[in-house]
Amino acid sequence: MIEIRVDVPLVGSELHVEADLPPAVTAVMGPSGAGKTSLLEAIAGLRRRARGRIACGDAVFLDTERGVRVAPEQRRVGYVPQDAGLFPHLTALGNVRFGARGDEGRVETAIETLNLRPLLPRHPASLSGGEKQRVALARALATSPRILLLDEPLAALDVELKERVLPYLVRIRDEWKVPILYVTHNVGEALALAGHVLLLRDRRVESQGRPLDLLSSPGLSVEAEAGIENLLPGRILGHDAAGGVSRVELEGGIPLSVPLAATRPVGTAVVAAIRAEDVLVSSAPVKGLSARNVYEARLEGLERTGVDVTLRCALAAAPSPWLARVTPAAVQSLGLKAGQPVWLAVKSHSVRLL
Amino acid sequence: MLTRDEVEVVLFTLEVAALATLLIFPLGLAAALALARYRGPGKGALETILSLPLILPPTAVGLVLLEALSRHSPLGAWLAARGIEMVFTWKAVVLAMSVMSFPLLVRSARTAFEEVDPRLVGLARTLGCRPAAAFFRVTLPLAWRGVLAGTVLAFARALGEFGATVMVAGNIPGRTRTLALAIFHDNQVGRDDRAAVLAAVTAALAFAALWTTELLSRRLGRRPEE
Repeated sequence: MIEIRVDVPLVGSELHVEADLPPAVTAVMGPSGAGKTSLLEAIAGLRRRARGRIACGDAVFLDTERGVRVAPEQRRVGYVPQDAGLFPHLTALGNVRFGARGDEGRVETAIETLNLRPLLPRHPASLSGGEKQRVALARALATSPRILLLDEPLAALDVELKERVLPYLVRIRDEWKVPILYVTHNVGEALALAGHVLLLRDRRVESQGRPLDLLSSPGLSVEAEAGIENLLPGRILGHDAAGGVSRVELEGGIPLSVPLAATRPVGTAVVAAIRAEDVLVSSAPVKGLSARNVYEARLEGLERTGVDVTLRCALAAAPSPWLARVTPAAVQSLGLKAGQPVWLAVKSHSVRLL
Repeated sequence: MLTRDEVEVVLFTLEVAALATLLIFPLGLAAALALARYRGPGKGALETILSLPLILPPTAVGLVLLEALSRHSPLGAWLAARGIEMVFTWKAVVLAMSVMSFPLLVRSARTAFEEVDPRLVGLARTLGCRPAAAFFRVTLPLAWRGVLAGTVLAFARALGEFGATVMVAGNIPGRTRTLALAIFHDNQVGRDDRAAVLAAVTAALAFAALWTTELLSRRLGRRPEE
């Protein structure tokens, strides 16, 4: 358990975070300036004016009421800042060894885990963004950290590099059993890695909980993909290059056709993201439509959200209802009422794979 | 060629200048680091005071030192009580050189320290370094060029120190006469040819010091990029 009750003075205001995080991967999300990096720095001990209590398992890092403020060098946190923060005067190997206190076994394991062997003699200036991130991760791991603090480790990377570095993070999560706080803007990364999400906004905790529940709740303020109401886990069934589509099987065996995603091998777990306004609703069976995905569902409920109406539609096989957003005019002309059958249609191109 | 006396003057000058540089090196680095990291009231005043010797007439600085070391001042009395004689000895030469060179070392080192990203120092802390270890493993290796340049500059300045030295140490042949003082003396007694020779030697020494630094800095600075 990671216990955080902390106030961190910042320019203009104060970051206030209260959270109990499970000893696994927590995604820290929220808009820029929400205080994500400051939170990591406070945990690492780099914010000298932080007050409150921070504890990681049995190790108390900060307890200002009892006069406890452990120096950063005694906290054993593995902090990887957004730009990797490698020491430019040392080689990759020198960087990895920096905090290992001569524990060569630990250094070797970190090098193996992140596949750094060919990079070791090189200086940071000659490493690519993804290579720097891997070296910085290894440097943090080689210190036997109690907790890993990763500040957008993939943000600076392009899609291809991301897909090469992400597996290393999964490996660290599964093999090293170190709790991880992981700052990200990317819902896909959060879903792929984290079992818990801490959502910050305006230097406060906006909400926290399981990623799928949290990230699909409407009106969320996370940038980019967040606020997408339908987040549907599934796996890749196959690719149809000529047809320009890939086939996905969602939970409950529901088939979904998506834009061709040939880079993802068959069997890969994915999350399909569909905005509620991209779900077309019909009160009669749909025929002759270009949309590839048509489902029969039961309208469970209607809820006014702003000017629009959000419909909760239960598919027989789906574990949770799909959300569709329509105008009040559409509700009226279709005569939509709770309990009636509806048909939902989704264009392949309205689906984004995370 | 140099006479035996002149050779002694050259060696003496090198010795005291080296000693002065050695003396101010740790103090200068500490002051530079404090100025680079400290953000608070009094910073500007502190910087100005440390830089004063650069702009004051050296004779004025010499006068202040002379007063401070006289038996009427607390420091002078304290030293006298312990039988330490400073004024008109080689120790006074070292002191004069130190005070005049100090700001050059501090300015150069401070700029170098300021260019070290403080976040790297923080990271070194999270990686298990106490503050002193973080300084020696991260700050100093990243700032060494500026530190080296400042040290050599301070040494070269010490080699040529005249005004403060003559005030506080006098110009005693065989005891406190440095190159700069010898040049002045030769000129005063009409030996302009010897003065010229010594001036050339001074120039050669300063040139050698600066040039060696330049080469060293270039060689060590080259990093394998692959």
